[in-house]
Amino acid sequence: MNANGRLLYDWPDDDIDESLRFSDPAQLGEDPYDVVIVGAGVVGCALAYKLSQYKLRVLLLDKNYDVGEATSKGNSAIIHTGFDAAPDTLESQLVTRASRQWPELADKLKIPYEQCGALLLANDEKQYKQLDKLYAKAVSNGVDDIRLLSAAQARVLEPKVPNDIQGGMVIPRESIADPFTTLIAYAEVALANGTDILFGVEIMGIEAADMPIKKLFTARGQLITTRFLVNVAGLGSRKLADLYDGEIFDINPRRGQFLIFDKYSRSAIKRILLPIPTAHTKGVLVIPTIFGNLLAGPTSEDFSHDDEAVTDTTIEMLQSLLAGASRLFPQLVDQPVIGMFSGVRCNCSQGSYLIRCNDGHAGILTVTGIRSTGFTSSPTLAEYLVNELHKKCGLHLEINPNASDSRPASSWPGWWNRPFSNGKMLKKYPEFGRIVCYCEQISRREIIDHLDSPLKPQTLDAIKRRTRAQMGRCQGFDCQIHVAEIISEHCGIPLNKITKRGPGSEIVAATK
Amino acid sequence: MNSTKYFRVVIIGAGPAGIGAAIALSRLGIKSIALVERSDKIGGIPSLYKKKTGGVRTFIRWSRGGIPVFGEEYANSLKRKLAKTDVKIWLQSQVLEIEANEKKIILVNPVKGIMSLTADAVIMACGSREKTPSERGWLTGSRPIRVFFTKQLLQLIDGNDLLPMHNPVIIGSDLIAYAAAAKLKYAGSQEAIVVDNGRGPKCSYVERLYFRRWSQPSFRSSAFKSVEVVGSKTASGIRLSKDGNLIPCDGIVVCGELIPNSELALQGLLKVELPSRKPVVGRNYQLSKPGWFAAGNILGGYHGAEWCYFNGRRVARAVKNYFS
Repeated sequence: MNANGRLLYDWPDDDIDESLRFSDPAQLGEDPYDVVIVGAGVVGCALAYKLSQYKLRVLLLDKNYDVGEATSKGNSAIIHTGFDAAPDTLESQLVTRASRQWPELADKLKIPYEQCGALLLANDEKQYKQLDKLYAKAVSNGVDDIRLLSAAQARVLEPKVPNDIQGGMVIPRESIADPFTTLIAYAEVALANGTDILFGVEIMGIEAADMPIKKLFTARGQLITTRFLVNVAGLGSRKLADLYDGEIFDINPRRGQFLIFDKYSRSAIKRILLPIPTAHTKGVLVIPTIFGNLLAGPTSEDFSHDDEAVTDTTIEMLQSLLAGASRLFPQLVDQPVIGMFSGVRCNCSQGSYLIRCNDGHAGILTVTGIRSTGFTSSPTLAEYLVNELHKKCGLHLEINPNASDSRPASSWPGWWNRPFSNGKMLKKYPEFGRIVCYCEQISRREIIDHLDSPLKPQTLDAIKRRTRAQMGRCQGFDCQIHVAEIISEHCGIPLNKITKRGPGSEIVAATK
Repeated sequence: MNSTKYFRVVIIGAGPAGIGAAIALSRLGIKSIALVERSDKIGGIPSLYKKKTGGVRTFIRWSRGGIPVFGEEYANSLKRKLAKTDVKIWLQSQVLEIEANEKKIILVNPVKGIMSLTADAVIMACGSREKTPSERGWLTGSRPIRVFFTKQLLQLIDGNDLLPMHNPVIIGSDLIAYAAAAKLKYAGSQEAIVVDNGRGPKCSYVERLYFRRWSQPSFRSSAFKSVEVVGSKTASGIRLSKDGNLIPCDGIVVCGELIPNSELALQGLLKVELPSRKPVVGRNYQLSKPGWFAAGNILGGYHGAEWCYFNGRRVARAVKNYFS
C-alpha cells in the first residue's frame, strides 16, 4: 500500500531513521488541519479510517510509539452481538449494528475473524430461571438468532461443560477477532488515503480553543493548528479535556485481568463460554482467541485515576479466575497457564459512551467512557462520530472518490496465512522458511515485512502484536533477543537502544 | 506437494543430548541418521557461552588431559566429534508437527521448503527452557522491559558484548542463578541480589563456593509468598509481599526452573504430564508410542550439558536394542 499521508515519530534521542524523525511541525505542512484526532486507540484509528474517506486534512496522533498501546491492547477480543447490553442505549444500538458489519469489515481490512458463537450457561436453578429474561433482553436488542437450550442440548454443543448445568442459551453470531491487526488496518488505510500520523507526541497545552483555528502545543512546545479537535485519548481524556475547559466528567481505570492458556486446550471447546451475569458483574468467561489459545477472564477492579500499578497482575486474581473458569470448563484448571495480562477499561462515572459535541468550545468533540464494547462498535461508533462532527460541529464533508476502504490480500498477517505453506512463496522468498519465533512458527521474512510495513514499527511490542513473535508459551525465551537483533540491523538502531515500547524501555539500561 | 525422505533414525535437536545420541548411533553401526536442528548452529545452550579470559566458566567438562573445557569450547568439541560421522545435519530446520503413528515429522527449511521425514525411530532431544514468570506462579506485578531469562543474558553479554543492567535482581537461586550473578558481576554490574521463595538458596553450598571467585550475591527469601515486579516501562524494583520491602534494581533475571520443550509430543498426542510438561517415558526412554524416544533435558529435571551428552548415548543404545 502506498502511504500518501506522512508518518513520523518523535524519538527524543534520535535513535531512529532520519526519514521518520519528527522535529518540526513544518514537516506536516503549513495549513491548519481540518481535524486532529488525539489518541490512536481503536476509536481514534477507526475514526481516522472513516474520515479518510472524505477530502479532509487529518492528523492522528498518540503519545505512545504505536497504535493501540494503552486500553486497546488488553481486551477479550470478543466481537459482541450486543445480546446482553442495556437496551435502547447508544452503546447497544452501535454494538448491534456493528456486529452485523464485522464479517464484511474483517474481509475488507484483512482482519483475522471467526464467528465461533457463544454459550451462556446456567449453573443452578436460580440462574436457569433467568434465562427467559435474558432471552427477551436479547430479542429487544435486535439479537433474535439465539436459542434456549436444555442441559442435554448444551452438552451436545459443548461436551466439556460441567455435569450439573441446568441449561443454557446459544448466541451463534458472538465472534472473536484480532484486536491488534484491527487498529493497524484502520491506520494503514487512513495513511494510504492521506491521513498524517504522529507517534510519541502528547498535547500539553491548547490556546485559542474558542477560535476557529485552535492551537495545540506538544510537550516540546511545537505548534499544531486545527479547525476541529477530537479527544479520544481514553484514560488520558480528562487531562486533555482540562486543556480546553471541557465539561466535567470523572474517569478511572477499571482493570480486567486475564489468564492465557496454551493451545492444546483450544480444541476442547468451540465457543465462548459465559456465566449468567449477576447484578454486579458479567463474571469470568472462557474465551477462545483467534490465535488459538484460551483466555479466562476478565476481572473487574476499579482503580483511582493515577494509580501506576493499574496494569499489574496479582496472585489473588489468578486464583479467582481459575475458580470462575472451572465453573464453565472444569478441566481447564489442569491446563498450563502460559501468561497473564491486564486490560484497562476507561470507566466514566457519568456513563458509558459519553460523547459531547462542541465541548467547552465550538469544534471540539470529547469521547470518553468507552469500555468493553469499543472494539466491537468501532466501525459504527466512528460513523456516528463523523456524523456528529458534520451535523453538530459543522465539519464539511465531501467524499474523496480516490479513497480506498480496504487493504490488499498481502496484508493478511503471516501467522494467519502461513507463508511457508505456500510452495511458490517459499521458493521465491526462502526466508519465509527461516523460523525465528519457534513457539508461534514465525519467520524472519515476516518480521522484516512488518518492519517495512506502512506504519514502520520500531519496537519489540509493535512487532510482537503484528507477527505473534514473543507471544508464545516461552514468552520470548528463544526469540526476543533475536527479534531485537533483526530490528536493530534492519532499522539501523544500535542493539542497546532497542526498546520494548519506545524511549524509556530500552533492553539495555543506560550507563550511569 | 511436500517431498518425503526416509532415514533410519531422526533426531530432533542438536544440543548435547542429540549430538550424544547421533555419535553413539553412528558408532553402533546405524547408518542413515538425520540430526534436525531449528537454530543455525549446533551445540545447544553451551554454544551461547563465549570463552573470555578470566571469565566465568560454566558447562565444564574435565577432559582426559585434566584441562577444563567449557561453553562454546565444549560445543565445538562435540561438533568435531560429530563431523567424523556420516550423520546428516539439517540446520535452520524447525519441526512443525509430528505424526506419531507414522513415525513422521514435518519440518520447514529455507532451502528445502516443507519436508516430511519418516524414520524407523525418532529421538526427541528438544531440551528445555526456563519457566516464564507466569509459569512460576508467584511472580506478579507489572511486565516491563529488562526482565530477562538467563539465556537472553548470555545472548546480550556473550553474544553482543552488552551489559543490560547494573543493579541486578536475580529470581531463582539454583546453580544457573549463581552463575548468572557471577557473569553479570564479571561483565561490570554491581553485586546481584538473589531472591527465591524457599527458606534458603537452592544452589548447594559447594556450588556457591565455586562462584565466589567472581561474585558474592546476597540472598533474600520471599518465604513462600509472592514477589511483585515494579516498574511500568522498565524494571525498577521488586517487592517481597512478606514484608512489603521494595528492592530497587534496573533489571531482573529470571533464572533456572527448567521446563521441557515437549510441545511436539503434546501436539502429536504422545503422553505428556501436565503441568510439568514432562513426557511420559517407559523403559529405555521410550515415549507412549512405539519408535519414539526422548533424550536429555526434555526428560525433565535439571541437568548439565555433560549429563545430557551421556544420556543421549544411553538412548542411542536403547534405539539399537529396539531395532533388534
